[in-house]
Order: sequence, then structure tokens, then C-alpha cells
Amino acid sequence: MSAGTILRCWLALMVLLALTTALAFVPLGTANLFVSLGIAAAKALLVLIVFMELKASSSLVRAAAAAGFFWLMIMIALTSADYTHRTDQRVPLDTVR
Amino acid sequence: MADEALSFQFATPVQQREAVTLGMWAFLATEVLFFGALIAAYFNYRIWFGAEFVAAAQMTKVVLGTTNTAVLLTSSACMAMAVTSFEAGSRRRPTLWLLATAVLGLAFIAIKGFEYSLEYGEHLVPALNFDLARHGGVAEIFFMFYFCATGLHALHLLIGIALVTWLAIWIGTGRINRGGSTTRLIGLYWHFVDVVWIFLFPLIYLAGRNG
Amino acid sequence: MHAPHRSSYLNAEIGLRSWLLTTDHKRIALLYFAGITFFFAIGGLAATLIRLELITPQGDLGSPDFYNRLFTMHGVIMVWFFLIPSIPATMGNFVIPLMIGARDLAFPRLNLLSWYLYIAGGLITVAALLLGGIDTGWTFYEPYSTFYATGYIILAVFGIFVAGFSSILTGLNFIVTVHKLRAPGMTWYRLPVFVWSTYATSLILVLATPVLAMTLLMLLAERVLHVGIFSPQLGGDPLLFQHMFWFYSHPAVYIMILPSMGVISEVVPVFAGKRLFGYEFVVWCSIAIAAIGFLVWGHHMFVAGQALYASLAFSFLSYLVAVPSAIKVFNWTATLHEGWIRFDAPMLYAFGFIGLFTIGGLTGLFLAALPIDVHVTDTYFVVAHFHYIMVGGAVMGYFAGLHYWWPKITGRCYPEYWARFAAILAFFGFNLTFFPQFILGYLGMPRRYQSYPPEFQIWHVLSSAGASILAVGYALPLFYLFWSILKGARAPANPWNATGLEWSVSSPPPAENFAVTPAVVRPPYQYDQGKPCMQADHG
Repeated sequence: MSAGTILRCWLALMVLLALTTALAFVPLGTANLFVSLGIAAAKALLVLIVFMELKASSSLVRAAAAAGFFWLMIMIALTSADYTHRTDQRVPLDTVR
Repeated sequence: MADEALSFQFATPVQQREAVTLGMWAFLATEVLFFGALIAAYFNYRIWFGAEFVAAAQMTKVVLGTTNTAVLLTSSACMAMAVTSFEAGSRRRPTLWLLATAVLGLAFIAIKGFEYSLEYGEHLVPALNFDLARHGGVAEIFFMFYFCATGLHALHLLIGIALVTWLAIWIGTGRINRGGSTTRLIGLYWHFVDVVWIFLFPLIYLAGRNG
Repeated sequence: MHAPHRSSYLNAEIGLRSWLLTTDHKRIALLYFAGITFFFAIGGLAATLIRLELITPQGDLGSPDFYNRLFTMHGVIMVWFFLIPSIPATMGNFVIPLMIGARDLAFPRLNLLSWYLYIAGGLITVAALLLGGIDTGWTFYEPYSTFYATGYIILAVFGIFVAGFSSILTGLNFIVTVHKLRAPGMTWYRLPVFVWSTYATSLILVLATPVLAMTLLMLLAERVLHVGIFSPQLGGDPLLFQHMFWFYSHPAVYIMILPSMGVISEVVPVFAGKRLFGYEFVVWCSIAIAAIGFLVWGHHMFVAGQALYASLAFSFLSYLVAVPSAIKVFNWTATLHEGWIRFDAPMLYAFGFIGLFTIGGLTGLFLAALPIDVHVTDTYFVVAHFHYIMVGGAVMGYFAGLHYWWPKITGRCYPEYWARFAAILAFFGFNLTFFPQFILGYLGMPRRYQSYPPEFQIWHVLSSAGASILAVGYALPLFYLFWSILKGARAPANPWNATGLEWSVSSPPPAENFAVTPAVVRPPYQYDQGKPCMQADHG
């Protein structure tokens, strides 16, 4: 990890940050969520691969790094299988306690 | 040339280095699932409540959030510079880069504190002064997530600042020599705290921004 | 004339400080044994009171509120402070470094910290019990646990939260140890199955427990701050809590059973004098159980209001998770075929495990079927199902391992005929206790009820009678194992003629485990060549 690599990575992260904030104000409908998460994933990958040196790490370490995210995807996927198919009616809320 | 002492359970310094690295990544995996559980709950409510949940996000301070993200990303770059210069054999440069990391971390905390004070003024703090009649229960749930997520993140960041400062002092006074893993491991922790924020940022600040 | 005083890990250092500040995995294992036994006794006391209460249809052993607190504490203590740590923290800690040819775990000081966190969490939770207890059931469902329940919920939940970190650190330690500290020649496919099972368990410990930590934090936030994240008053969804809770708690049951399966995989080949049938299948099934076990948690929520689509998915996945468990049962059975069977106590417990786990597992399939579950959920059918697995399975496995490794750990032999008697007594007591509960549940007796219609009484009486026998079956080892420490015959290094590396060192082992790091040359369970071939040749 040379100083040059770090600098370029930092610049890329700044550009992605500017992009994601700007795009948030562009009406893209449901795509807004995926765009912002996609850019977040790109930023995270830059930090993981460059700053956290996953690029130079063993496959075991990379598997350990991936495991947490993969298991989180399982949790999100299966719980949303419930929430995207709910047909219940929500009760009107109490607005004053 | 490794100067770090070899613990008795390890046969070689390489084995020790690999073991502690794997151990740190396994710990970070647990943190992914810790914060991830909160994020999963967020996603489910976002699906279930729909527009009302996303609308609450508009009350967050996107300028402060974006600034803080830039601060934290820069601090990661400083941390990376610290690790690199330390492993290149320098002693003064990593100390300065580590101090820069800690200072940026403190800047994040300061901006966050200021942000919290603004939210307090706007009656957005659940359990303290949330204006339920004006904003509604769904917004209160959103702000519970906001405070829980950013609060836990800030706690992790404070721990990181303490570790980085301690490391800066130890390197500066020559008590840690290159060849060991401590600097690299603390770096991994710091970057991870950054990764958590990278994901929290769009979920909290960028939702519902386009009318 | 008694044997010369040999140096081992037990007497390498003396004094209380050398035990409370030890980093020796073998001593830490003994520290855990003490804690495990203590909490098992408390949970067992609660169970005794429950079964006494249920002998008569009306409530007579205290108020309904007291009964609620009894079954809650029974569940909380047994799940988090007995079953989850049981085999991994005791036998896993003791045996894993020996089995792989290492001097200790990867992070010995972290190991000691794990024990302190376990004890601290346990004492905090017991304090909640002594102060008055909690009545929510071990599942803490919202909004009852946050908005309506009285009792020391914050304290109890905090105790569990602390103990959770013990689990996480233990799992982390085992994962790194198995990856990095294996002796030369100890390839993955030469590892005893107990190591694979503990590794699979550790994967679950590391990936599932953090979700529990967050869930409990959110529960505490709701209770302390009176903000409804999961409560309908604010439009929150109680089911979200259940999703988060069961995402951990279902894999948790695999934390409880996988180590026991590992013990059985060790015991059966030794006492059948045969190689384990289908080693590769058994080890990959352990991993499969751990992985698929993460995909099935919604089967606890079939009647809770979950979307039908999700329930269908979870039902299908629950059928899938039974497959690797069944494969293991087939492999153990095939190992017995044409073997030379010895009926020592560990083997008796193993037989009990195989039969009772099969019944428990099959009834799990009944419960995975949506139409059946609608009928029997929240009845004694479910109670019987999980006790067949947890007690008939996991606890039998714990006793099997305890007896199998007792000579190695203590350097003493236990009295064999007392042990066999206790095993058989426990088997009969167990079945008398829990089989009537299948019938009770099918007939409609709900769980967590203090009083019930008189037509159910005969089944409850049978169950309580069985419980009294089971209690004797569990108490006996306490006495004869303690006796054996004082008066038992001194054990040789390899009393069972087994082949694992742990049997190549003295009983009890020296503090440093191996004077010379062993070089492993062959796979485990080489029992077929007339005499057992050890994994490493003596050098």
C-alpha cells in the first residue's frame, strides 16, 4: 500500500461521496435506494480492498471478511420475504401518549 | 525482522501474525452482524412503512452528514498512511498520521454532537422531547434508529480514537517496534468503523431527498 | 504403596490465584465445568418445581405469576447458561488443542476473559431471579416484555447480553485455533469429527450471537426509554422483534446440538471398534447443519402473523435442514454394523442420543408442516419435541463426553457399573417424562399453563414421575464422579484404546500438552487393523 495508492483511493472515495449526495436529489424513483447503496458498496469495497489490504490477504481472510456481509444478506433477504408480502392493515396510530 | 515477542502457543512469528489477523477479521465479522441486525430492522420497516418512513429521513441534516462522511473517509486515509509509514520503518511519520486520524475522529464526534443538539432543538429526540403529535409515530421509530445507529457508531469511534491515541504515544516513545501486528490491527478496526458509516450514511441522510 | 506423584496441569501450579488467573485451556475448562454444573442445578431446581406443580390440575405451588417466573427462569438458565456453553466451553476447551496437537488455544487470555464474562452474566441473571424474577418466557416477546411485564427484565436481559460476548469470544478463539494451530500433518480430513463439529458450532456462535446482542439492546432501549420500536402503540411491529430474536435463537439450538453430535462421532467408533462410516459426509453435514440452520428461523412464527409466502419458504427450508442430521444418524448406525460393540457408559449415552435425537428430529418435521404446526404450536407437543433434542440429545451427548474424557481430564476412572446404571436410569426417566408430553400436546394442552383441565392429569402425573427418575439419573454422576476424584483407580493414558492425539499424552495431561509437537501421519478412527493405530507415531 503505497502513499500514491492511498491518495488515489482517497480521491476516488471523495468523488463517490459527492456523486452519491448529488444523485440523492435527482428523482429516480425506487432506483434512488439502489444507486445510493451501490455507491456505498463501491466505497466500502475500496476501503476493504485498499485500506484494509484485502487485495494482499489470503483467501481465508477474504472469506472471513465476506462471511459477515453474506450472512447479513441472508437475514435481510428472508425477513423482507415476510415484509414484502404482508397483507395486514396497520392500526391507526395514537399520536398523543 | 520481527521484534514482537512470540507467544508460547505459536510455533512461528508468521503463524502468530496470521492468527491475530484472522482473529481480528472474525471479530469484525461479528460487528458486521451486530450493526447489520439494526440495518436489517431498518430495511424491514422501510419496506413495511413505505413513504412515511422515508419521509422522516428528510429531517436529518444532509450537509452535516456529508461533511462527516468526508471527515471519516479522510481519517481512514490518514490511518492507512500511518500503517504504511510504520511498516516502512519510520517512527515520527506514523505518530503524526495517527494523531491526524484521532483529530479527524474527534472532529466527527464534535460535528455529530452539534447535529444532536440541533435535533434536540427541533424536538426530534425520542424519549426526551420527540414531538409525536407533529411528526407521528413512524418518524419517532425512524429517529430511534437514527440515534441508536449513530450513537453506537459514535461509541465505537470513541474507542477507536482512544486506541489510535494510545498507539501514537507508544510508537512515538518507541515502545512498539515494527514487525508486530498491533498497528495493522488497530488500523483494521478504524477502517471498519468507517465502513459502517459508509452504509449508515445513505440509509439515514439520503433517503427521501427527492420530493 | 501409591503411585509416584506425577506432574500434570492439575498440580503444575497451586493456589487459588493460579486457577483464577490461569490461561491454561485445561484449567479454564474445569472452571467452566464448575459454572455449568452450578447453573444446571438451578435450572433443574426450577424444572423440579414445575413438575411438582403440574401433578395436580389446579395451581397449588404458588400463584400463576410465580409459575410464569419459574418456567421463564428454567428456560433462560438452561438455554444461555447451561446448554449453549456446555460442551464447547468444557470439553471443547479441554480437548480441542490436544486433538489438533497444539499447546493451547490461539488466544489463551481471551479464553479466560470468556469465562469471566460467562460467570458475570450468569450471576447478574441469577440476581434477577433472586430479586423476584421475570415472567415473559425465555423468548421475551414484545410488547409484553417491554411495556407490560413487571419484574427484573432489564437486569436479566443485561446478564444474557454480557454472557453473549463470552460465546462470541469462545467461538472466535476456536475458529482461529482450528485454522492456524494444527500440528504438522494434521490436515482438515485428518481432524476428528469433534473438531469439525466444534468448528461448525463456532461459526454459528460468531455469526448469530451478535444479532442477539443487538436485539437485546433494542429491547432494553424500548423498556428503559418507553419508546415503541416493536410496539403497536407507535405502529411498531412485534413480529420484527421475533424475526431478530429467532434469527439468533434458531441457530442457537444448533449450537446446542452440534457439539453433542461431535461427541457421538467420537464415542461410537471407539466402542464399536470400527472406523466412522462416511467421514467426509459426517463432517460436511456438520457444516451444512450450521449453514442451513440460519435459514429456518421463521418456523417459530408460523402463527404469529408472518406472511404466508415467508412461512412457506421457511417450512420448505426446515425440511431441508433435517437432511444432514439424518445423514449423520445413518452414518453412526452404519458404523455399528459388524462392529465389536462395548457397552461402556459413554456408549450407552450415545445409544440414548441416537434414538432420542431421531424421535426429536422427526417430530421437528411434523412441526415444520404448516397445517400440523397450526394445531400443535404452543402446546406440549413443541415442549416434548425440543426436550427430546435438548435433553435426549444434547444432554445425553454431554454425559457421553463427560464419561469418555473423564479419565483424561482427571486421571481417574469412574465406577463403570454405577455409570451404566445411571445412564439406563436417565434413559427410562427421560422417556417417561417427555413422551406423555407429545400426547398432551396433541390433545391440546397448552404450554406455559399452571392449571389445566382434569382430563390431562394422568399424562402430567406420568411425566412428573418420570422427572423424579430422571433427576436420580442426573444426580448419580454428581456423586460417583466426585467419589472417583478421591478414590477412583488411576487412569492410563489410553483407557479406551482410542486413536486421537489426546490419548497419546498422560492422564491427566502435562501442563504444556505435548513435550514434542506431534507429527500426524494418519486419519482418525483407524480401529479396523486389529489394534488401534494412533494418529501420530510415538517419537
